Amino acid sequence: MGILTIGCFSSLVGSKSLDFTLKLANAAVDKGHKVNIWLSGNATVLGKNHQKHLKDYSTGEKPVMALLEKGVEVCECEACALARGITKPDAIPGIQWNAMHWYLAKIYSSDRVLHIGGE
Amino acid sequence: MSDITCAFVIQRPPYKSETSTLGFTHAISYQVVEMLLEDGQNVIPTVCMLGEGILNLIKDQKAMENYGVTSIESHGKNGLLVDLDILVCKEDLDGFGISEDRLLDAEEMGADKKLQIVPYAEIQKVMESSNHLLFF
Amino acid sequence: MKLGVFVNDYKNTVGTIEKLKAEKLGFIFIQNGVFHAALKENGNPSPLLDKTSNLYALSEDLATRGLSSADVDSRVKVVTYSDVVDLIFNDYEKLAWL
Repeated sequence: MGILTIGCFSSLVGSKSLDFTLKLANAAVDKGHKVNIWLSGNATVLGKNHQKHLKDYSTGEKPVMALLEKGVEVCECEACALARGITKPDAIPGIQWNAMHWYLAKIYSSDRVLHIGGE
Repeated sequence: MSDITCAFVIQRPPYKSETSTLGFTHAISYQVVEMLLEDGQNVIPTVCMLGEGILNLIKDQKAMENYGVTSIESHGKNGLLVDLDILVCKEDLDGFGISEDRLLDAEEMGADKKLQIVPYAEIQKVMESSNHLLFF
Repeated sequence: MKLGVFVNDYKNTVGTIEKLKAEKLGFIFIQNGVFHAALKENGNPSPLLDKTSNLYALSEDLATRGLSSADVDSRVKVVTYSDVVDLIFNDYEKLAWL
């Protein structure tokens, strides 16, 4: 089995790329692979807790909590989160907070890297 | 395993989104990734500017004055200062009609590196030889 | 190199994709990229379908857009997320999101 690191910079609402990230991560971990997810830029909004699932909008809180339960490592860019007014007390428990070098370090040990740039 | 290499391919234009800024800042973070790795291990980035990504390199950007944000020019200069290789696709530069003297450099900051204007074939080689690709 | 490209857009992807060369090049159409697999403009399929024989379209993104396998060009294989994971680990060593 291999290690997949996904870096996602796309927003929670307004793009389905985060949804894609979570679904792909789920499929990979269900097949026995190890998955790391790095959230930067607008994707850090995913880390905010108490998201309400309104049917017009994507929400990632439940899927990301399910991934954390399965051992997926999810890390927010602290600077990007703080810039958006998201602080650690507001964050989904279990999500890590770090700086960009966390992503590079995970890339170092990964077999495959999928970088999903922002839009 | 000692080092691994990554091609950071920046192909989005500046300032509508923060994508290209994040491309530079992530590449620059190679300076500190060693603290999370074992001795002798590192991630070596090469930044490749393609297509509309070239537009990030035009100098005299007034981002701080107009938006209160660090300019991408400044990030590019910092990249050169920390010895990043920043390759610029010559065909795309010529296609936009942008002359080299309109591009940023960091000589006055004491950087040893300069932007490297290269044919696309060189960028293709970097992508082929890198362990991973990150398109911004 | 063996390069798997996640084509996630319909109109904005042409420039960089056209430049890419690989020993094995695969296009995985997802999100609005599935329109490359399913639509014709003025009777012509997407030119991306001529660039490689390794073409895949994500079934879930087709269905989300009201498309089905019946709409997909015969050169494109319809795949699931599980299949995409296998493509990532077994067929392509490097990945690009364009």
